[in-house]
Amino acid sequence: MPTLTIDGKQVTVEPGTTVIQAAEKLGIFVPRYCYHPGLTIAGNCRICLVEVEKAPKLQIACNTPCADGMVVHTQSSKVNQGRASVLEFLLINHPLDCPVCDQSGECDLQNFYMQYGLYDARFQEQKQKKPKAVPLGPTVMLDAERCVLCSRCTRFTDEITRTGELGIFNRGDKAEVGLYPGKTLDNKYSGNVVDICPVGALTDRDFRFKARVWYLSSAPSICTGCSQGCNIDVHYVIDRPHLAEGARIMRLKPRYNPDVNKWWMCDEGRYGYKFVDENRIRQVSHRGQAVSWEDAYSSLAASLARFKSDGRLNEIGILPSAQQTNEELFLVRKLFKEGLGIKNCDIQVPSPAGTSDGFLIKPDKNPNTMGAALIGFPGASKPLKSTNGSSASGHIFDKALSGEIRALWVFGHDLVKLFGEEKVKALAASLELFVFQGSNDNGTARYAHWVLPSAVFAENDGTFVNVSGWVQRIKPCFAPLADSLPDAQVLLELARRIGISLSFKSAEEVFNALAAEMPAFGGLTYERIGLQGARVHQKEPAAR
Amino acid sequence: MQIKKRELTFWEKIYLPEIFRGVWITSVHFFRNLAIHTAHRFGLLKNVRAGVTFQYPENPRPLFPRLRTRHRLTVREEGTPRCVGCMLCETVCPAKCITIVAGEHPDPNVEKYPVRFDIDLGVCVYCGYCVEVCPEDAIRMDTEILDVAAYSRAEMKLDMHELMNPQLRKPVKECTLKFPHKCAIHGGELRGDWRFVYGKNPEQIREEGWKEIQELSGKEH
Amino acid sequence: MMADLAIKLGLIGIFIAGFVLNVGGLHAWVERKQSALMQDRIGANRAFIILPWRWAAPINWLLRPLNVLGLFHPVADAVKMFTKEDFIPPKGDRFLHTLAPFVSMFFALAAFAGIPFGDRLVLGERVIELQIAKIDIALLYIFAMLSLGVYGVILAGFASKSNYALLGSLRASAQMISYEIALGISIIGVILIYGTLDMQEMVRAQGKLLFGFLPMWGIFLQPVAFFIFMAAALAETKRIPFDLPEGESEIIGYFVEYSGMKFGIFFMVDFIETVMVACLMTTLFFGGWQVPYLYPDGFHFPWGGVIPVNSLVYVLAGVASFTVKVLFFCWLFMTVRWTLPRFRYDQLMTLGWKVLFPISLVNVVLTALAVLVYKVVI
Repeated sequence: MPTLTIDGKQVTVEPGTTVIQAAEKLGIFVPRYCYHPGLTIAGNCRICLVEVEKAPKLQIACNTPCADGMVVHTQSSKVNQGRASVLEFLLINHPLDCPVCDQSGECDLQNFYMQYGLYDARFQEQKQKKPKAVPLGPTVMLDAERCVLCSRCTRFTDEITRTGELGIFNRGDKAEVGLYPGKTLDNKYSGNVVDICPVGALTDRDFRFKARVWYLSSAPSICTGCSQGCNIDVHYVIDRPHLAEGARIMRLKPRYNPDVNKWWMCDEGRYGYKFVDENRIRQVSHRGQAVSWEDAYSSLAASLARFKSDGRLNEIGILPSAQQTNEELFLVRKLFKEGLGIKNCDIQVPSPAGTSDGFLIKPDKNPNTMGAALIGFPGASKPLKSTNGSSASGHIFDKALSGEIRALWVFGHDLVKLFGEEKVKALAASLELFVFQGSNDNGTARYAHWVLPSAVFAENDGTFVNVSGWVQRIKPCFAPLADSLPDAQVLLELARRIGISLSFKSAEEVFNALAAEMPAFGGLTYERIGLQGARVHQKEPAAR
Repeated sequence: MQIKKRELTFWEKIYLPEIFRGVWITSVHFFRNLAIHTAHRFGLLKNVRAGVTFQYPENPRPLFPRLRTRHRLTVREEGTPRCVGCMLCETVCPAKCITIVAGEHPDPNVEKYPVRFDIDLGVCVYCGYCVEVCPEDAIRMDTEILDVAAYSRAEMKLDMHELMNPQLRKPVKECTLKFPHKCAIHGGELRGDWRFVYGKNPEQIREEGWKEIQELSGKEH
Repeated sequence: MMADLAIKLGLIGIFIAGFVLNVGGLHAWVERKQSALMQDRIGANRAFIILPWRWAAPINWLLRPLNVLGLFHPVADAVKMFTKEDFIPPKGDRFLHTLAPFVSMFFALAAFAGIPFGDRLVLGERVIELQIAKIDIALLYIFAMLSLGVYGVILAGFASKSNYALLGSLRASAQMISYEIALGISIIGVILIYGTLDMQEMVRAQGKLLFGFLPMWGIFLQPVAFFIFMAAALAETKRIPFDLPEGESEIIGYFVEYSGMKFGIFFMVDFIETVMVACLMTTLFFGGWQVPYLYPDGFHFPWGGVIPVNSLVYVLAGVASFTVKVLFFCWLFMTVRWTLPRFRYDQLMTLGWKVLFPISLVNVVLTALAVLVYKVVI
C-alpha cells in the first residue's frame, strides 16, 4: 500500500493506482484529455503533467504508478509552464471555430487555456486543413481539425462497445480520427463518444446548433427508456422559446453512477426525450370538449361514488402502468385498491419483448416494473404475450370487452397499439366510464371519454426501482406543460373528493408512507436515495 | 466630498443688482440675435450664426463615426449573412432583444448560419455590446438610422430583411432572401433554398466544400 | 344717448378687443420667440401655411413672413385647444368647473375699464375720454377687479374635486393675497403724491415737470414703490419667478384638471394680466400716455424750444406713447420671466411678508412725511 504526498497532502492507495487517481481521491483535479476513468490509459495528450520530486522531468499523472514516499506537485510553476507548452502544441492546428462549435462553453481546450495557457499565439504558418462537418453515423458529426487526437473515442469503440469503427489514420500533424473503410458509427452507444470527446471534434447531430451550452440548465434525473434506469442529467432551456421550436429539453447526458450505468447511456435513451415536448396532451377534455380540472374532479368523483353506492365496484377496472413512479402506484393502490376496494386493478398488459444486450439496454421498456411489483402489482414482472379476447384470460381488457367491466381507468397505456383500434373503439362505445390519464396524445386518448393530461418524468417528482433493485429519484426540472399535472396530485385530489383520507402534500410524504408500509422500502428516504440511489431489501418480500 | 458654499456678498444678498445683471445678459443675447436674424433676412452677416439650432429633418446634425445607430448584418458576396449564429450577441444582450435560431450551412467551411435573426428594437437599449462581442464582424451599428419609430410593437421587430438591407423599412412587402431562413413575412415558416444562392444542391455544395478541404490539406482522403 | 353707447362700444372694441386681447394672444408667440432669441435658438417655426396651387403664388409670397416668423403657432394652438377633449373630472362640479376660467377671464378684462390710454379726444363738439369707464376711484376699481381674480383660481381648484388642484389653488390664493398687501401699500405713496385715485387725473399730474426738466413720472418720485410694485405685480400675475401656483410641468397647479380651451383661457388670463400689470406700471410710474414735453398745443422743451402740434396728432401721440410703454413692459416682464429661476415657496413668502411689506410701509411713511414737509414748506 504505497503512501504518497500530493500537494502536501498524504494519501494511501492500492498498489497499481496512478497518480491521477490518487489525486482524484484527494479531490485534486489534474487536467486531462486522453485520460478517462472508464477507458484504458493511453497517455498521449500530455496535459496531465505533474512534478514528481527526484524525477528528472515532468511526469504524466495518468500513467505514473504511485510509489511509496512519492512527493507530487500538481500546481507548481514548472507544472503550469509545462501544461501551457503542451496546450500550445495541441492548439497549433486547432481552428478558430469556437463561434460555430457546439462544444464551446464546455470545451476542455477553452477551460485549460484559460486556466493554464493564456499565452500569445506564436504560430504563423498555415494551419493543417482536415475534414470538417463529416457525419460519422446517424448521431455523431466529426470535425477532424478540432481533434487533439486523445483517442478516447477509438478506445471507447474498441473497449466498451467492441465495435471498433473508429481509428486514427496518417501520421504527424496529418493524423486524424476517422472511420475504418466500410463502417459507420451506428452502434447503440455511439452518442457516448460525444460525451467523452474533450474537444469539439465529435459533436451530437441531434443537439447540433440547437442551443449554446451556456443556455442550458441541468437537473439530475433517471432515464425512463428501460428498466435499467440509467442516471442522467436533463439539459433544458425554458427562457428561450425560439430555440428548437420551443422544446424545453435540449439533450440528455449520462450521469456517473458506478452501480447502474457508469459513465454511459444508450442512444435509445439519449434521444428518447422528444416525447416531453412533442405531441403532449395539453388540457383536460371530456368527449372532445375542453373542461377544467375542477369539472373533471367533481364529475369523476361523482361517477366513482355512484359505482360504489350501487355496489358495482367489481365493474371498475384500473390499469396502472409501470411507467409511473412508486409514489403514484402507491397512491393508485391506496385509492382504488384499498380505498374503494376495486379488485380489477392490475398492471399487466401484453407487451412485446424489447431488444436487449448484455450491457445497458434491457428488454423491459418500463422504468418501474420492479417498483410496481414491490408495491403490489406483480403482473408487471411477467408480461403477457397476448390476450385471446375472451374473458377467460382474466385480463381487465378482456373483461371490459365482454361487458364484465363497465368503467375503465387507463394510466398511460396505449390500448390501440396493444389491442387494435377496432376493439378500443367498440370498448369506448360500450363503457360507461373510460378515463385515460397520460402525458402524450395517442390512440387511447382519442377514444377515451375523459382525457387527463399528466406530467412527464422531467416535470414529476418521485422514485423508480430499476431492474436490479436500485431505488432512484427523479426530480422536477420545470413546471408541467400547460394544464398537465403529476398523477399523484390528481389522485390525491380525487381521494379527497371521494372522502378517502390521503393527506400527503408532496411526493416525499407519499414515499415516507410507502417506506413505512412496504418492507422492501423500509428505512429509505429521499435523503438516503440521494443522487446515486439506494437498494431495496429484496430478500424480505421474497421470504413472505 | 465636501461642498463648500460660497458666502454671498452684500450686493448679491439684496438680489436686485443680480436681477439686473441677469436681465442684462439675457437682453444682450436677445438684441444681438434679433439684430443678426434681421440682418439675415436682408442677406447680411450670413456667416454669423444667430442660433445653435439644427433644422432637423432638412439639415440633420453631422453624426460622429462611433455613434451607435440602428443595427445591420454584414453580408457575404453571395448575399448570405456573415453571421455564423454563434449567439454571442444574444447571450451578451442585456435587454434580451436578439433572438437567433442557427442552422446548418451546406458548406462545411462555413458550417453554421442564422436561420432566424430578429432584433426587437422596442426592447433594445443600444448598448452596442452585440457589436463588441461579435467574432465575425457580422453585426454593426453604423446605418446612421436614428428615426426608428413604428405604430405597433410588432413593427419594431426587425428580421433578417431589414437587418441585411438597412434601406428597407416596415412593412417589407416581399421576401427577397434566397437562402433558407425564417422571417416575419412568411410568419416564421422556413423559406428559401440554397440552390437559389449557389445554383447547386446543398449536397453538391457540401461535396465541393470537402473537396476544397482535401485540396488544401494536400492529400487524398 | 345712442351715440354715447356707440362710442363706448367703439372704445371697448378698440382697446379691449383690438389691443389687450391681441397683445395677450401674441404673448404666446412672443414667449416662444423671445425665449428662443435669448437662448440662441430659433424658436417655433413649423406651423406654416403654403398653398399648393400655382395661382396662389402671390398669396404664398404674402404669407411667407408669417410662416418664417412662426406666427401661425398661436393659431395652431387655438385650433388644438378647441379640438382637444374638454375633460371634466367625474366627481367635480360641472358648473363651477366650467365657470372658473370665465370668472378669471372676466375680472382680468373688466379691470381694463379703468385704464386711460389717451388724453381726451375732441371731435367737433363731442369730448371723448380715452378711458372706457371714467371712474373717480379707478385705481380702487382696478385693484378690486384684480383681487376678484383669485376667485377663479379658488373655484378651479375646488370644482376639480382633486386634492392636487385644491392644494394648488390654496397655494395660489395664499400667494396672491400675500402679495396684494405689498401691492396695495406700494401705490399709497403714489396716491399721496398725486392726491387722486382717478387714473386719468393721475396721468395728467405726471405731465408736469420736476425741477423744470424732469417729467413728474412716478418712477422718479417713487422709485422704491416702483420696484415693490413690479415685484408684487409679477407675483400677482403668477409669472416666473413667482409661478408656483402654475408651475406648468413640474409643480401641479390649480388647473391640473383642465384641458382644451378652458385650460387655454387660464393661460390667456395669465397673459392678459401681464398686459394689465404693464398698463398699470405705465400709468402709475411711467406717465401713462404722456409724451415728455408734449402739451396739448405742442412741444415745450425745457431749453426753450416750442414745436406746435395739431390736437389730433397730440392725442394720437399719447396713445402711441402708451402703447410703446406697455409693450416695453411686456418685453421686460418676458425678459425677467426667461432670466430668473423660480422661488422656493418659503422664499416667496419671506420675500412678500418680511421684505416687500415692511419696505412698502416705510416707503409710505417717508412719502407721507415728505409730502407733509413739502406742503408745509411751500
